[in-house]
Amino acid sequence: MSQISRRQAIALLGALGFGATAAACAGPGGSTAPGGATGPAAPATGDITGKVSFAHWRGEDKVVFDELVKRFAALHNGVEVAQDISTSNDYNAQALQKLRGGSIGDAFATFRGSQFKNFTEAGIYTELKDSKAVSNYQEGLLSAGKSGESQLGLPYQVVFPMPMANVDLFDKAGADLAPKDWDSFLAMCEKLASSGVIPISWPGGDVGNGGQLFNCMIANNAPVDDMCAQIEQGKLKVTDDWFIKMLNQYKDLVPYLQPNATGTAVEPAQNLFSQGQAAMLATGSYHIAAVRGLGAQFPIELVFPNTSDGNAKYEGVYNATFILGVNSASKNQAAAAAWIDFLSEPENAAYYANETAQHVSVKDVDYTNPDLKRLSPWLDKNTALAARFQFQNLDVRNAVEASATAVISGTSPEQAAEAAQKIVDERI
Amino acid sequence: MSTHTGLPAKRKAPGSPPDVNANKGRRRSPTRVNPALYLFPLPAVAVIAFFLVMPTLQAFQYALTDWNGFSAAFNYVGLDNFIRAFTNDSLFTNALMNNLKFVLLVVIAQTFFSLILALLLTKNSRGSVLLRALFFFPTILSSVSVAFIWKFIYDPNFGLANAVLGGVGLEALQSSYLGNDAQALYWVAVTQVWFHAGQMMVVYIAGLQAIPRELYEAAEMDGANKWQQFKSITWPFVAPATSIVVAYTTVQSFKAFDLILGIAGNPPKQSLDILSTRIYSTFANSEFGYAAAQSIIFMAMIALVTWLQRRLLRLTPKGE
Repeated sequence: MSQISRRQAIALLGALGFGATAAACAGPGGSTAPGGATGPAAPATGDITGKVSFAHWRGEDKVVFDELVKRFAALHNGVEVAQDISTSNDYNAQALQKLRGGSIGDAFATFRGSQFKNFTEAGIYTELKDSKAVSNYQEGLLSAGKSGESQLGLPYQVVFPMPMANVDLFDKAGADLAPKDWDSFLAMCEKLASSGVIPISWPGGDVGNGGQLFNCMIANNAPVDDMCAQIEQGKLKVTDDWFIKMLNQYKDLVPYLQPNATGTAVEPAQNLFSQGQAAMLATGSYHIAAVRGLGAQFPIELVFPNTSDGNAKYEGVYNATFILGVNSASKNQAAAAAWIDFLSEPENAAYYANETAQHVSVKDVDYTNPDLKRLSPWLDKNTALAARFQFQNLDVRNAVEASATAVISGTSPEQAAEAAQKIVDERI
Repeated sequence: MSTHTGLPAKRKAPGSPPDVNANKGRRRSPTRVNPALYLFPLPAVAVIAFFLVMPTLQAFQYALTDWNGFSAAFNYVGLDNFIRAFTNDSLFTNALMNNLKFVLLVVIAQTFFSLILALLLTKNSRGSVLLRALFFFPTILSSVSVAFIWKFIYDPNFGLANAVLGGVGLEALQSSYLGNDAQALYWVAVTQVWFHAGQMMVVYIAGLQAIPRELYEAAEMDGANKWQQFKSITWPFVAPATSIVVAYTTVQSFKAFDLILGIAGNPPKQSLDILSTRIYSTFANSEFGYAAAQSIIFMAMIALVTWLQRRLLRLTPKGE
């Protein structure tokens, strides 16, 4: 073996260091967005075989998806679908970076709003406009997955981010489940409080779940439907009268929330509701399965906190989310697209819906789950698309929603609004 | 084939002819090793270069851009990200102040409690060993488990803390804990101290057990009371241990990312936002360049605070 001198060894280490430094100097964003100038391409076609990674955040739906995977594999010999599940917060923060390379997430889901937008800009979605799946969806619910003329994603779930109600407690208190205005909503809360229960269980210590109430509170207060987008752009301000009015309505709710509501995490809030200590859980229909799992036996309805003076534009709010897509960087697009097609068939969508107690955007689905059957009329009501997902900047969203939490903590609406507007202004 | 081993040459047999290379060999340093041995750290150097040095250097470059983390396009913005952090981002300055407050609270409380525990449990009696194990136990838990345990202790509705206060008739002291913006950081500091004081106690015990007993015996004979013994013997001798405890606690408190995220959720509310969680939120908000600048400020802040501590406390003698 030839000998290496000390000088050579040092030169080698130096070269290594230089190489590392040079590599570090490579500019960011080295990979171009797939799709190119002609827009996103449709998923590749080919044999439906091999491994498909399905990335999403619904850990609570894993068993249901496992069963659907089995059925899918029975139809296509040699195909295997593996779920890659993160918690919703982690998925929101990291999914884009993890999926860009295509090593995971051949098929995937995104949240409506900023995540869908970022995935679109990064060119991760393929074009599903001409896919077999798209025709299975209700036309009016597909907009959350559109970008310009392209149908990039298919919003699979329809959820109602409105307080869930324990119908038995409402009946006992003689409270109205459908208040026509803000005064009657407060009167309803008063009746519930008088009957000895906490009217509203609100997870104020959990930013994600606590913020769902904001969708209801803002729907009929805002002067326009794209109010959150306009706040972010600086066209509307949270110091405007309509927003202050909304914050004052949050203040009205304080006597009807559980004590120390701003420190309550989502699990204890669910417990208060499922144990019958609270008449409403101010999160959304996506928690039905969770509260049933905690032992809730009572019939569940939805209640819309109607903030209007009797001329409400909307009678509820909904969100179309869990936007399914096929990864443009996937090596197995044919099988991934087939998996999305499979999930979008009414029979399979019905299985998913009934087992997870969540409505879906797919047409002709037969809801057999008693909770879904009871809540199905909400699908036909005049509901607003949940506003908080219009925010593209999460700091802005959190600051605006935090103003409501601050009011419930005792800060004056004006002060809370000023503090939020300062953060918004810094980000315009 | 050369078989140079780097080991000293074998001793020559008596009466053997003189070695013509003897003088040359004699000039070589007895500690000289085969230069090939310099290649042995190469794998470690490569790992450090690629996974530590390179990303750090890249962070400096990204910090000068407005890159969003996924686009091919980006612009160089000079020092704008650094200027923005200090002049036009109240969320960042809020996180910075929270973090400094948190570090101060935890460093003082954790150093104090770990030293007290160590002083009480220095002896190797059976009881002390058992109690040491008990106080050390939280350290072996994962930070996420600790966060969830304390999240439920602090829950205002079903939590242990309010239940105990209610049980002993102190309802007036019941609180919403993490829901109270003025108190939330203090409650998380309590959790952090509970989590790590046992670990620092072990460092102190090692320092205390190294102090010669004769010093205490001599001090007692001279009539020194317990406080004088602590001041003149114990404290100077545990100064190196204190230096380790303070430095480690500082870095640990700056990086209490998982504990905060576990206990306060993601994103944490403003009253619990510290630098590491703020950087994470900025990354999640697709502001990669700005987040890189925040990371560099974070790194500089830890280095500065640690250096200041060592200067101000003068816990290590010169040259160590």
